[in-house]
Amino acid sequence: MEERPQHRLSRLPDNSALKQQELPAHRLYFTARRVLFVFFTTGIFCLCMGIILILSARSTQEIEINYTRICANCAKLRENASNFDKECTCSIPFYLSGKMMVGYVYMYYKLYGFYQNLYRYVRSRSNRQQLVGKDTKAVEDCAPFKTSDNKTPIVPCGAIANSMFNDTIILLHNINSSVQIKVPMLKSGLMWWTDKYVRFQNPSSKNLADEFRGTTKPPNWPKPVYDLDKKDPRNNGFLNDDFIVWMRAAAFPTFKTQYGRLNRTHRFIEGLPAGNYSFNITYNFPVTRFHGEKSVVLSTLTWYGGNSLFLGLAYTVTGAITWLASFAMMAIHIMLKNKKMSFFHQ
Amino acid sequence: MFCFMVEMERIVKANDREYNEKFQYADNRIHTSKYNILTFLPINLFEQFQRVANAYFLCLLILQLIPEISSLTWFTTIVPLVLVITMTAVKDATDDYFRHKSDNQVNNRQSEVLIDSKLQNEKWMNVKVGDIIKLENNQFVAADLLLLSSSEPHGLCYVETAELDGETNLKVRHALSVTSELGADTNRLARFDGIVVCEVPNNKLDKFMGILSWKDSKHSLNNEKIILRGCILRNTSWCFGMVIFAGPDTKLMQNSGKTKFKRTSIDRLMNTLVLWIFGFLICLGIILAIGNSIWESQIGDQFRTFLFWNEGEKSSVFSGFLTFWSYIIILNTVVPISLYVSVEVIRLGHSYFINWDRKMYYSRKATPAEARTTTLNEELGQIEYIFSDKTGTLTQNIMTFKRCSINGRIYGEVPDDLDQKTEITQKKEPVDFSVKSQVDREFQFFDHNLMESIKMGDPKVHEFLRVLALCHTVMSEENSAGELIYQVQSPDEGALVTAARNFGFIFKSRTPETITIEELGTLVTYQLLAFLDFNNTRKRMSVIVRNPEGQIKLYSKGADTILFEKLHPSNEVLLSLTSDHLSEFAGEGLRTLAIAYRDLDDKYFKEWHKMLEDANAATEERDERIAGLYEEIERDLMLLGATAVEDKLQEGVIETVASLSLANIKIWVLTGDKQETAINIGYACNMLTDDMNDVFVIAGNNAVEVREELRKAKENLSGQNRNVSNGHVVCEKKQQLELDSIVEETVTGDYALIINGHSLAHALESDVKNDLLELACMCKTVVCCRVTPLQKAQVVELVKKYRNAVTLAIGDGANDVSMIKSAHIGVGISGQEGLQAVLASDYSFAQFRYLQRLLLVHGRWSYFRMCKFLCYFFYKNFAFTLVHFWFGFFCGFSAQIALDTSYWTFINHVFIWGSIAIYFSILFTMHSNGIFGIFPNQFPFVGNARHSLTQKCIWLVILLTTVASVLPVVVFRFLKVNLYPTLSDQIRRWQKAQKKARPPSSRRPQTRRSSSRRSGYAFAHQEGYGELITSGKNMRTKNPPPTSGLEKTHYNSTSWIENLCKKTTETVSSFSQDKTVKL
Repeated sequence: MEERPQHRLSRLPDNSALKQQELPAHRLYFTARRVLFVFFTTGIFCLCMGIILILSARSTQEIEINYTRICANCAKLRENASNFDKECTCSIPFYLSGKMMVGYVYMYYKLYGFYQNLYRYVRSRSNRQQLVGKDTKAVEDCAPFKTSDNKTPIVPCGAIANSMFNDTIILLHNINSSVQIKVPMLKSGLMWWTDKYVRFQNPSSKNLADEFRGTTKPPNWPKPVYDLDKKDPRNNGFLNDDFIVWMRAAAFPTFKTQYGRLNRTHRFIEGLPAGNYSFNITYNFPVTRFHGEKSVVLSTLTWYGGNSLFLGLAYTVTGAITWLASFAMMAIHIMLKNKKMSFFHQ
Repeated sequence: MFCFMVEMERIVKANDREYNEKFQYADNRIHTSKYNILTFLPINLFEQFQRVANAYFLCLLILQLIPEISSLTWFTTIVPLVLVITMTAVKDATDDYFRHKSDNQVNNRQSEVLIDSKLQNEKWMNVKVGDIIKLENNQFVAADLLLLSSSEPHGLCYVETAELDGETNLKVRHALSVTSELGADTNRLARFDGIVVCEVPNNKLDKFMGILSWKDSKHSLNNEKIILRGCILRNTSWCFGMVIFAGPDTKLMQNSGKTKFKRTSIDRLMNTLVLWIFGFLICLGIILAIGNSIWESQIGDQFRTFLFWNEGEKSSVFSGFLTFWSYIIILNTVVPISLYVSVEVIRLGHSYFINWDRKMYYSRKATPAEARTTTLNEELGQIEYIFSDKTGTLTQNIMTFKRCSINGRIYGEVPDDLDQKTEITQKKEPVDFSVKSQVDREFQFFDHNLMESIKMGDPKVHEFLRVLALCHTVMSEENSAGELIYQVQSPDEGALVTAARNFGFIFKSRTPETITIEELGTLVTYQLLAFLDFNNTRKRMSVIVRNPEGQIKLYSKGADTILFEKLHPSNEVLLSLTSDHLSEFAGEGLRTLAIAYRDLDDKYFKEWHKMLEDANAATEERDERIAGLYEEIERDLMLLGATAVEDKLQEGVIETVASLSLANIKIWVLTGDKQETAINIGYACNMLTDDMNDVFVIAGNNAVEVREELRKAKENLSGQNRNVSNGHVVCEKKQQLELDSIVEETVTGDYALIINGHSLAHALESDVKNDLLELACMCKTVVCCRVTPLQKAQVVELVKKYRNAVTLAIGDGANDVSMIKSAHIGVGISGQEGLQAVLASDYSFAQFRYLQRLLLVHGRWSYFRMCKFLCYFFYKNFAFTLVHFWFGFFCGFSAQIALDTSYWTFINHVFIWGSIAIYFSILFTMHSNGIFGIFPNQFPFVGNARHSLTQKCIWLVILLTTVASVLPVVVFRFLKVNLYPTLSDQIRRWQKAQKKARPPSSRRPQTRRSSSRRSGYAFAHQEGYGELITSGKNMRTKNPPPTSGLEKTHYNSTSWIENLCKKTTETVSSFSQDKTVKL
């Protein structure tokens, strides 16, 4: 009985820490000193962070001009879809008061009540169409904007592309009553790198119009996709900046999308100086049909991106609550301490 | 199986297969497997889709295949579903494969069947009802047989029924005298054409009724003539039997409970939760659908320019209807299929931890613990009741002669404090018996004093050992190597005779009239004048012998309480001394027995013997007269001493029982053994103590008596309760009760209930059941003795059903299988001969003591981990899914997803089981340019990760979220530890304080228990063996020696066996507690 044959030993389980469930484990023990220390430091950190964030958010400037009502006549014109080829422009003057907008200034368009997040809307696009070597006529996912009435495939197909924001907004700086300078705006750096270089690709051929033969433009578009930018031939086809930016559908019905950023040259090297400005808007995009609104926004950014106060406030509030909590815990701890001491001495 | 006709009685004709085929009795093939190759797929799939979750996901899959409402791609559901179903199917298939294998092994065992007047080897499965088969020594019985003849005289044969009732002592069976004459004559046997008419197959192991009609006469058959499948033939070189019940009809198979699908309470909780969550999901769907209808009619129709409706989608109500189903699909992750997969994986991991545990590895038998079922681990932490078998589980089934007290002096090892004891065993060599030729090498005794006393020739010591060697019912036999082999009817006696043998008083052989022993090297033959057999009231056994010197002596051994009353007054001093010793022995849990003798006067004995002969010949009041005569002669005894036999417990049983009861786990002992034995073990492992307020013994013989006894016990209990409830006992108990969440009735004090199988059968009837249960649950310890395998299962079922408690059954033998199957968790003791218990069990290991680690370590950890996992899992899924609900309010309730569920679920289900590394690598792959190039429509996430992770703002949000999520938890835990510390917190704090204060000192265990419990001697054998011996019917001597003048056989050749039967039936009526399972 006592002797153990060698071959039997093989049934003995390994003596490894894992198999014997003896891996080092640490159970946090919440001693008052540790917890309070962590809380105080976290509180301080959050408060400081919050103050910094609030200050930097406060230093940003933002101008928003809702031009749905200002350009009432254009809006009225666009109510009727049959007027799509009639051009309508409107000019909105405004005064940039106080100090100049320092640093990078971004221009956005903002839409209210536009449901870019409807399930069928989001699905209505074809990624295959916009890639090199893929079929430009691949429209199978694009319902209800797959083909035109005579069965020619739409390029770019789908509800998203069809509803592309197509107002042109030009910012003018009125140096005095007679001289107007166009504020230089850049389109670069607005879209994601991957969108520009991976996701959207034009057919390889030089002549885009040839490549897109046998297709038709989306019904809402005034011009076909290869003819979007007359001035810059590289900004045509699927690589059009506005198109790429638009194709990233927003998550909420109210959203702002980047339209351009200030090219900091000459007078604008420091930003936008104070003074009289005006927006020259070619009003194409109908919003009154769905009771929506649109506006144009000029804004600077903080170092951490964005310009909302929320993050800073959230940090501040968290810090404050942490401090309150740590004081409360300290009080409870001290109250209990006497009790505990007597418990131990029993 | 063939139940097209209800069988009212069974008619079997021997050697006539054609005749028996008319009745379409089941043949001897057994199958415990569930499927075959063809039926596997349909049955298994049907079973699997009965699970709520699987059915739910099947519905979901169908929904997703409808394009109008499918908001997610269908493969997000089908992949995990197929995975789950395949995993389960593979597991079921392997399980069933092993069942097939073991079935085949059993079915293909060979047995010798009498076909065409010749013995032919036939597989078990081909044995038919009515066949006559031959069994040889140590063979398993193939079917339930009617014993026809055997190698032993008078058609006797011996069987071991351990597989059936767990008892290892031999049982005797005897054939009808008409059939036993057939002997081994195959021609005559082949011509045997008796017809047996008997009861239909049933599960009663101890009952059989039938009639054999042969040669124009009818013979009634009872259980004594039946050998059951599962028994092993012992000490009988061959026997012939006729198959009455075969295969599934045998009593063994009828007793095996059905295999039930076991599930844990977490499973059930999960099912309920899933149902609730499903309801919740429907609510969400309805809310969102209504929202969608409203949105479509209020806002949506202004938006049609950009997104017009297709034909047939014209109404907002219909849109809402579709949205409902779309949201059901989107939000399905609140009822996550990966939950089931993950739970199974976690359980599998835990099972491996159990298999790997070195602390549950028994090196002596090289058996590691094994989790045979992987799905029950966390239930181990929830056990409230343990049902344990006794023999082989609590005890080793080894009896050892531990100590004795001879003439007021104690011999045998002196158990002191634990440390000292081990020292002694290390230093001291066991007594060397090697000088003797006939020794049993396994016997060990650590006290040399006894040896010295023998050598010194102390007459009392010699007389003591002589009693041990003479007064018993053991049969001796020499094996081929010339070694003495004892056939014992009870292991206690075996231990005593073996002890005497090792000390030089070797029992050599016996005839009906003589007993030959070797006394320190010289052969001495004693004349056996009378044998005063054991029975339950006498609780003693005596022999009257004449030694070679011509002196007549009465040697007696028995329960001390009885024997002490019969002593001669001159023994007073010795009596009190021995009595002290007995208390000491009993305190150590040893089985004690008092030994005494009496010198008889020749004349007196002759008179007495005359009276005994008269009494024996009497027809009226015979037994009373005999009993009176026995009383008459067994008096004025001279006390010699006492023996203490240890029914060796398994290692660590006492500690395990103690710690399990500290954990508020109740342990019930269910044993097929006798009441005395069971009670003794109860005391030995501290389940019964003398501190107990009361021990109720229920031994009623019919329903009325049982009910009355139960009622009395209950009254007694509540009465005593009232008495002590004012005292300070309440305060002590209070804390314990607070811990116990479900206390039906506050019981103060410890009680124990002992109930035997016969009463249990009545108590389990519907109206008394509740009384029994209430009483049993109020008691600290419950011992059920003499229970059949099925009764074990019934008791488990009772507790399971009416207490809603989680139960565990542990056992080692085939008789525990049904109990193991019906308990929530069945544990088999592995590393022993029989495999049935292990095969039926969910967990198996080699020693009872590992139960502690299994329950208190593995069970607890599994439960903790599972709970944590479930909490986290539900939290995660709700957090993830409810985002979509919230987002619904912003996206016009259009079932657009806010987060990319497709890849999220995909990863969640298949890949990330905790591995953040895999998560991120796949995330980045999916977001990579390459994969977008290949599947632009399926993976449109290109650039998401790169873009978002380069923004400082995102990192700041992540940081803030972390802080805001972690800190409240820290506050909560800190305050909880401080304000409402749990028990483990307190212990941890206490340990910390202890560590600081001083190094821990080991507590000295208290081994000594003062106990008044004595005379637990249980003659585990039947009454009647004495008669068997004196009649010489079980001796193999062909020519019985001439009878002396004194010893005249008064019984004719068959009367002794009738006496035996009569006695046993009488005992059933008067001492039914011991006779329920009498095979």
